[in-house]
Amino acid sequence: MPDMPNFNDEQPNVPQEPKPEGPEKKDESEQSSLLSKIQTLGQTNVPQMEGSSIHCLTIVGQIEGHVQLPPNNKTTKYEHLIPQLVAIEQNPKIEGVLIILNTVGGDVEAGLAISEMIASLSKPTVSLVLGGGHSIGVPIAVSADYSYIAQTATMTIHPVRLTGLVIGVPQTFEYLDKMQERVINFVIAHSGITEEKFKELMFSKGNLTRDIGTNVIGKDAVAYGLIDEVGGVGQALKKLNSLIEQHRDDESKEVIQ
Amino acid sequence: MWYTMMPKELMFPEPEGISPITQNVILYNGIPVLAERDENSSYRIIRVMSTDPSHFLMEDCQPGTVIKE
Repeated sequence: MPDMPNFNDEQPNVPQEPKPEGPEKKDESEQSSLLSKIQTLGQTNVPQMEGSSIHCLTIVGQIEGHVQLPPNNKTTKYEHLIPQLVAIEQNPKIEGVLIILNTVGGDVEAGLAISEMIASLSKPTVSLVLGGGHSIGVPIAVSADYSYIAQTATMTIHPVRLTGLVIGVPQTFEYLDKMQERVINFVIAHSGITEEKFKELMFSKGNLTRDIGTNVIGKDAVAYGLIDEVGGVGQALKKLNSLIEQHRDDESKEVIQ
Repeated sequence: MWYTMMPKELMFPEPEGISPITQNVILYNGIPVLAERDENSSYRIIRVMSTDPSHFLMEDCQPGTVIKE
């Protein structure tokens, strides 16, 4: 993230909490060649490759929100993604974002927050579902300007219910229903699927062995209007580049007027 | 509230001896990386947290690399 403030490189700080000094004194005898490399190079980036104008967000494993998951879970953390999205929006060198999803779902509010952030970016966005984009991964996949799904990828649409922990909220049916409505409303507002069809998939019986819901595979997701096209990374980047071109044209027109 | 495919037992297994691993996001050559602190008070890179794809090609911050303080 080029917009992030640069602190001393060997400082083990989370970027949001800058401290003037390193927390520990360096033992000079332990200085390695790597350390000297860090010191010589200082804050400049190693010029190996031009910074890309297209940035990539990978959303993998569980989407972690209010509750920290045990370390056996692979997670995508809300507090990592949100600042990245802010940096992408602010950096004029970044022209587009590719969002790669392979997620089992996760926290409803974190997922919706990420979806809203992606949907409200002023820069072109393209999403690609690889492997799986289940549960709360569905609104994230449809939040981009254009969405792709790999031929073998699947998306599971099922009701929101009490799995895992609910802490400090009234566990009423109305509460669950409202949560579910938020997900449904976002999906139908940002994709081509109708409310009736989405709810039908969500509550259908017989598709999942032990549960209600539907496992939607690649081209079926496109047929239902949930995802725009079946494709891979090649098509996704081509589409993103064409959206960027279009965005540039629109901006230059605005300047002339 | 969770909306996920994964069963609760898989997400929250019985705790077997808590290992005090501390993971931090640190800036290494201007690249945000998720790193784990080991016994020798050095860091091992777990994941590159940048959104810039070119950062993933840089040899000196590949996952597994140990950064000494």
